[in-house]
Parts: sequence; structure tokens; C-alpha cells
Amino acid sequence: MGPGGLSRGGGVGPVSESAACPRRYPLFQRGGPQLRIFRPNFFMLAVRPGVPQPEDTVQFRVSMEMTKVDIRNYLEKIYNVPVAAVRTRIQYGANNKRNHRNQRVKKPDYKVAYVQLGQGQTFQFPNLFPEKEQDTETRTFDDFRDKFLEKEKQKQEGDPRRGGVPDWFGL
Amino acid sequence: MAAAAAMAALGRSFTAALRLPRARPGLPGLVLNLYHKNLPKVEPLRQVKFLHTTVSRKGLEEFFDDPGNWGEKSVKSGDSWNIKQLRGKSSEDLHKLWYVLLKERNMLLTLEQESKRQRKPMPSPERLEKVETSMKNIDLVVREREIALRLLQTGHEKPVPGEWRHDFLGRTFWYSYKEWPIPWHLNKKHRKKRFYYLPHVNHFIRLRLEKALRKRARQQNLERTRQKILERKFPHLAVKSQSQ
Repeated sequence: MGPGGLSRGGGVGPVSESAACPRRYPLFQRGGPQLRIFRPNFFMLAVRPGVPQPEDTVQFRVSMEMTKVDIRNYLEKIYNVPVAAVRTRIQYGANNKRNHRNQRVKKPDYKVAYVQLGQGQTFQFPNLFPEKEQDTETRTFDDFRDKFLEKEKQKQEGDPRRGGVPDWFGL
Repeated sequence: MAAAAAMAALGRSFTAALRLPRARPGLPGLVLNLYHKNLPKVEPLRQVKFLHTTVSRKGLEEFFDDPGNWGEKSVKSGDSWNIKQLRGKSSEDLHKLWYVLLKERNMLLTLEQESKRQRKPMPSPERLEKVETSMKNIDLVVREREIALRLLQTGHEKPVPGEWRHDFLGRTFWYSYKEWPIPWHLNKKHRKKRFYYLPHVNHFIRLRLEKALRKRARQQNLERTRQKILERKFPHLAVKSQSQ
């Protein structure tokens, strides 16, 4: 990222020479200075695709205000990732949940972007929670739990020497 | 006179020796303790690059944590950048740091979403808060500098001039001026707006104030009661008074 900031494609958009939180944007006039963002506060998170995607496609969740051009600029300028094509859609957040007053509770909508990488790059979402070999603490805890469960089971079954005769019978 | 000049020179050299690197990037929370006895040991100031901005060719891997941290239960992290450290940085450094923090936040959000999806606890979720505090502080510092510059150049504190006005219910709000195609006395719609209130509204202003005060008092009371209950439940965790 140079000092020039992210150039904003299209006509209107968050510009702001100063503020990180965009408020009201001046209308883009032809011949006017290019609208630029310094200190963009757009977020963008890579998600594991629910539906299998082609190898070169990455799925992102992005800020609702971002356009396709914004997403392309964001990836190319900030992350140095070659982008071939961008498609977006808006996911409707479910509102079928009800609260204790039987009012509908809405989950927020979010924008999903499908980005095709250029230059023959491929992407595979990594497993961020691999099964690590257990450290001593968890191992001891698991041992303890197993022992405890075994003891409980033994208790439930009762004394093996009684041969299945219930407690209340006999001395 | 000469003695005074010598004293001044001495003071200058002293301050020069005291001028240390303002903050270390790796350890933003570190404060150097300067005692008199180790003053002479301070090395002369060298040009040190505090913020390394080498272009990293990692691409999409920057959306994920370091592979060594995958599957860990907690990841160690430093403190957030506080406003004092950021005030010492140049504007260029602040902007570079903003992009570093933005990438970090994206990485953490990705991790959070993935942990939600796999229904596992996120390792060290406090990192997200720290990054957000740092970004807020950078924003504050840059805004301060802009206001200072604007005051020097134009004498105004705000980019858009405005004033406090009342509406017809006596509520006060900030009215920012904007450009109109015609003067206000020709604008019928604007002339219909009332930026004043009549004396009979005074009573209702009073009531509104009372309502707000009651609400605040009730919230404070509730908070105090909750704290008392918690202290009764967990007496060993109660904060000891600092004065003793």
C-alpha cells in the first residue's frame, strides 16, 4: 500500500481523506479528484465454503458496504493477490427464531463474495483446528475421567461377589 | 551569562541523552526505567527503523494464523497500542500500522468464524479486542492531528461549520451548515422548520430531564446491587481497597 490509499472504483463510495468511519460521501463529479480511502475499516474474512467450489475460487464474508470493485482493490492492493473475477451476493439472515415474548429475532444479513484467483492460483481452506498430540495436562485429565467413569460403572453394577443378587436381599 | 549558556548546553545534552526510542514494536507495553546511575550508559541515538514494512509475498495465507499456532488452546500476544505510544509515531507509520492491524483483524475474524463453525473455543479471543482498541486509538490520533492542522490553516475546529440548535420540543442538536441553491428566506420548506420552542415546553423539558436522571440512577443502583451480590458470593475475589 502506497501513501495514495485505496482508489475507489465506480462513482460514489467511501472516500474520506480523514475519517476511518465513512459518514457522508460527496457525489463524484467528472474531473474531480479520485475518491480514495485512507485507513479503510472494511473487514474481510475467508470462510470455508459450504457448497464445494472450484479450485480457484475463494469464499469471503465482506462488509456490506463493499462493492465488487472494492473487493478486487482490497485483495490486489493490500494482500497482493491476483484476482480474475469477483461475484457477490447478500445472505439473508434467518428470522425464524422467537424470543421469550414470541417476537421474531433477526440474525444480521451479510455479504458473501466469491473471488476467482488469477494466474492459475488455487486455494484450499486449511484445517485450523488439527488434532494435536495431547499435552500432559489433558492426558492426565482424560485418564482421571476414564478411571472415574469406570468406578462409577462398577458401583452401578454392584458387588460382583453377590452374583447379581440385589442389595435389599439378604444381609 | 556564560554560566547560564553552559547550563543551557548541559540541559540540551541531557535531554538529547534522554530522548530514547519512543516505543518498541515488539513490546509496546514496555516502559524504560531511567535512573540517574545508568544515565551515562545510554547510547547515542541511532536511526532505527521501528516499523518494518517489507513486502510479504504471502497472499491469502495472511488470512490465517501462523501454522504453528493452529490447534493451540491459547496464543500469547502483547498489549494493544495505547494512545501515548501512537502520538509519538509519524503519520506515515500510523498508516502503515493501520494496515498491519487490519490484516490482523481479518485473520482473527476468520479464526473466530471457523471456530464457530466447528463449535470449538476460539484460541485467545481477547486479541480481537486488543486490535480493535489499537485501531480506535490510531483513528483518534490522526483525527487530533487533522484538527490541529485545520486550526492552523483555517482557524476552524470542525471540517463542516455548524451550531447547536433547539427543535420545537426543546431538544438540543448539532446543526451542520450545508450549501443551498437559494437563500434561506426564499426557501419555503426551510422557513417552515422551527428552531425554537415556546415557553409552555419548559415544563416538558423538565420532565424529560427528570426521566433521564431517574433512569440513570436506577441503572447505577442496579449495578451496585449486582456488585454487592457478587462480592457476597465470592468474598475472596473482592478487590482490596487501594488506599490501605
